[in-house]
Amino acid sequence: MKSWPIIRPYVMIAPALIVFLLFFIYPIYYMVYLSLHSWDFISPTKDFVGLSNFQQLLNSSEFAKVLSNTLVYTFGTVVFSITLALFLALWLNRSTRIHRLAQTAVFSPYIISLASIALLWLWMMDPDFGLLNWLLSLVGIPKQPWLTDQNTALFSLILVAVWKGVGFNTLVFIAGLQSIPKDLYEAADLDQSPKWRTFYKITLPMLTPTLFFLVVTNVIVSFQVFDTVHIMTLGGPVNSTNTLVFNIYMHGFRFFNIGYASAVGVILLILLAIMTWLYFRLLSKRVHYQ
Amino acid sequence: MAQIQLKNVSKNFDGESVIERLNITIKDGSFTVLVGPSGCGKTTTLRMIAGLEEQSEGEIWIGDHNVSDISPGKRDVAMVFQNYALYPTMSVRENIEFGLTNRKIPKVERKELVYEIAEIVGLTPYLSKKPQQLSGGQRQRVALARAMVKKPKVFLMDEPLSNLDAKLRQQMRMELIQLHKRLGTTFIYVTHDQVEAMSMGEDVILMNKGKVVQQAGPMELYNEPNSMFVSQFVGMPPMNVMSIEDLVTYSEDSWSFQQQGVSYIGFRPEKIKLLKAPSTSGFCLNCEIINRETLGAEIIYQLKSQIGNIQGKSYLTPMVNEKKVYVEVEYSDLYYFDKDGNRISSIIRTEMKSTLTAAGEKTS
Amino acid sequence: MKLLNYLLKGLNWVLLLTVILIFIFPFFWMITTAFKSFSETMMFPPKWIPDQWLWQNFVDAWQSGPFLHYYINSITVTVSILVLQFLTVIPASYAFARYRFKGDRFLFALIMITLMIPAQLIFLPVYLQMSSWGLIDSLASLIIPFASSAFGIFLIRQAFKQVPNELIEAARLDQASEWKIMWKIMVPYAKPTIITFALFSFITHWNDYFWPLVMTNSELSRTLPVGIARLRDIDSGASWNLVMAGNMLLVVPILVIFFLAQRHIIKAFVYTGVK
Repeated sequence: MKSWPIIRPYVMIAPALIVFLLFFIYPIYYMVYLSLHSWDFISPTKDFVGLSNFQQLLNSSEFAKVLSNTLVYTFGTVVFSITLALFLALWLNRSTRIHRLAQTAVFSPYIISLASIALLWLWMMDPDFGLLNWLLSLVGIPKQPWLTDQNTALFSLILVAVWKGVGFNTLVFIAGLQSIPKDLYEAADLDQSPKWRTFYKITLPMLTPTLFFLVVTNVIVSFQVFDTVHIMTLGGPVNSTNTLVFNIYMHGFRFFNIGYASAVGVILLILLAIMTWLYFRLLSKRVHYQ
Repeated sequence: MAQIQLKNVSKNFDGESVIERLNITIKDGSFTVLVGPSGCGKTTTLRMIAGLEEQSEGEIWIGDHNVSDISPGKRDVAMVFQNYALYPTMSVRENIEFGLTNRKIPKVERKELVYEIAEIVGLTPYLSKKPQQLSGGQRQRVALARAMVKKPKVFLMDEPLSNLDAKLRQQMRMELIQLHKRLGTTFIYVTHDQVEAMSMGEDVILMNKGKVVQQAGPMELYNEPNSMFVSQFVGMPPMNVMSIEDLVTYSEDSWSFQQQGVSYIGFRPEKIKLLKAPSTSGFCLNCEIINRETLGAEIIYQLKSQIGNIQGKSYLTPMVNEKKVYVEVEYSDLYYFDKDGNRISSIIRTEMKSTLTAAGEKTS
Repeated sequence: MKLLNYLLKGLNWVLLLTVILIFIFPFFWMITTAFKSFSETMMFPPKWIPDQWLWQNFVDAWQSGPFLHYYINSITVTVSILVLQFLTVIPASYAFARYRFKGDRFLFALIMITLMIPAQLIFLPVYLQMSSWGLIDSLASLIIPFASSAFGIFLIRQAFKQVPNELIEAARLDQASEWKIMWKIMVPYAKPTIITFALFSFITHWNDYFWPLVMTNSELSRTLPVGIARLRDIDSGASWNLVMAGNMLLVVPILVIFFLAQRHIIKAFVYTGVK
């Protein structure tokens, strides 16, 4: 009778906890374990090989390319998307009908499946009959190869990611802007502060927590890019869009090089852990003013 | 029978003792008020009776049952909360019905009971409304109805009127008293407001620092406070109390009080007379009026004497306009306290006559 | 001065319309393409409006693969996830919001850590696990890993904590069991948050391409996003009218929901993420 209230909370948490342990926590351990072994998915034994998967990976020019692709993609996406979103937020943060409509329009791609968007843009980026090249032809720019050339493919993926994600960032910025107390602006007006100084001294500092939040979440999402790569380029041409998750997928499911794929996974884990740690560091001594 | 007894009840929060060895008996069918300054443990006591708080030690009895280990729902008590705690997602009807449903009372009977109670408290037109659509007074009634419908042995009320405006509060006070008369059930009512306690309670339990200071009817509490704390808690403005040591400076004879253990002397503001000449028939102080609060029927005077500031209250008498006055108090209206603030009632009041007059004389 | 003002206002409008077009026009382009004939997609400059609106494209797209299965699978998976999440998230949120127990902070932190572990990181070990249980290529492998949600626990726990303590005490005095308090008092109180989370979860899993792609390898267990992406491969590619017709099957339900519950959805995705 008395013991039930003690057990009760554990019973209530148990179903959720089992799911997390089984499908999130344990796999992390298993992945690290696999990265230290050599296995082709078929043979009955997994041979312990120490760090040799990592050695192989660090010496591989393919991996260097994959890592640099991922970092360039991440950097490009985050910088473009967030800068653009900040401008859009400052501009669209008004409550007239058209401004609200623009907010909704900008946000709408965010809730559409990335698979749909990848297909749509694959069509729009068609080198021969695509919409984008037609638009370019209107202003006299010759047809671009977009995804079919190794110099433009990664950039094209960035473009798609920015188009899909900028609306989310914009609305988060707008939420941040709206949480800045109005009287601060009134006080600045009374102090005869010019508009640019008000922005620089009040708006921007008050937005820093939002900015950090967005940078970190955008970086984490960009690290995981897969859907657009798989649908639009399959990592090509010539590995120019081969990214970390796609690389894990290929080594795991196409080449059955489980140990190596897991080693790449561990690298991704480390990158994600650094970002998460950074996020909590910033959060704890976070630059906030309220 | 629903007499309530707390036997040696203690309560600790995180190792800190809030209530220590409390012994209370609450008479069956009484309207008992638990009153005291904030943090005195009155709400904790009420919550322990309800079972919402588990006592660290001791036993709680309701009627012939030791309910110490019984869950709140099974103690046959109902409670009205300070913020009413109405379920916001349920209609008024569902709010009142909720406790009955949980007791698996048949639907027909439930409907009848709800209807009956709604009639009594005047909520019939509002039964299908949500609490958010009601006024403060109506919400209060829903809270009452929800408690009443269960026909509990004991009603517990935790400052139920504190969220109402002054006028409505006055009205609800009267309604609660009448409700108690009609139901004849034990009511336990917690408040920090001594006026509420005095006006509503048949039996008042005054608490301080986790202990019962005095349990008595309101008039006894006023007339025969057992300590300085009670004398100053009850009455508005509170009793004037002065230390005998200050008096000694002006009267060598007050030494004889000290011999008898008297450390403080007190008198109620409403027992003073303001005179133009020193009195010879009572305790007398030479004072200066520094402020007058004119409340209409009453006037409250702030007075400065050489042994400290005192307050006086007159009722239906013309305002005294002089600056210097003599304050006279009948010897029979004086109260004596020892160094711990406990009342000394063994001293016969008239004995003090000469010495205290001297104290008054010397100041002039 | 006045003229300048008008000009600026006009310019602002033009720019706003441009921005709206940039984000809306691709969807328009998707829709018209879906109705074009194959030859109309092969024109440069492109044809905006098809000569004939070919509903046949949808039939062809639908028949090019087991689309009925995709649809049923998508609905089964999404609904099962929602139901399971509802059943696991609410009790857990309730426990974390209402009880103090040994290890509560540790367990909560453990669950919050999983928020930081994306499916894209752990799919390989999970796949291997699933295959050792013989669950590969089953709907179960698409459902069970998402039978609970750390984000949901985070949100709903927060909402439960807002419930005034007095309300729970009143219910206890009304002889309500803990079970009843949870479902009759707390859940109705937290309803807006629960709906918000449900929308979020529904859209996320309906749209998911990655997990079904990795976990399934036969046509009959695939979901809509994977199925549609495969339309690209029919007729050795480039039947864009059919691909876009298929694409609409996936997008239209979401757009309808977005249209109906716009405010809720924006709240679900944006405002809950910020806090």
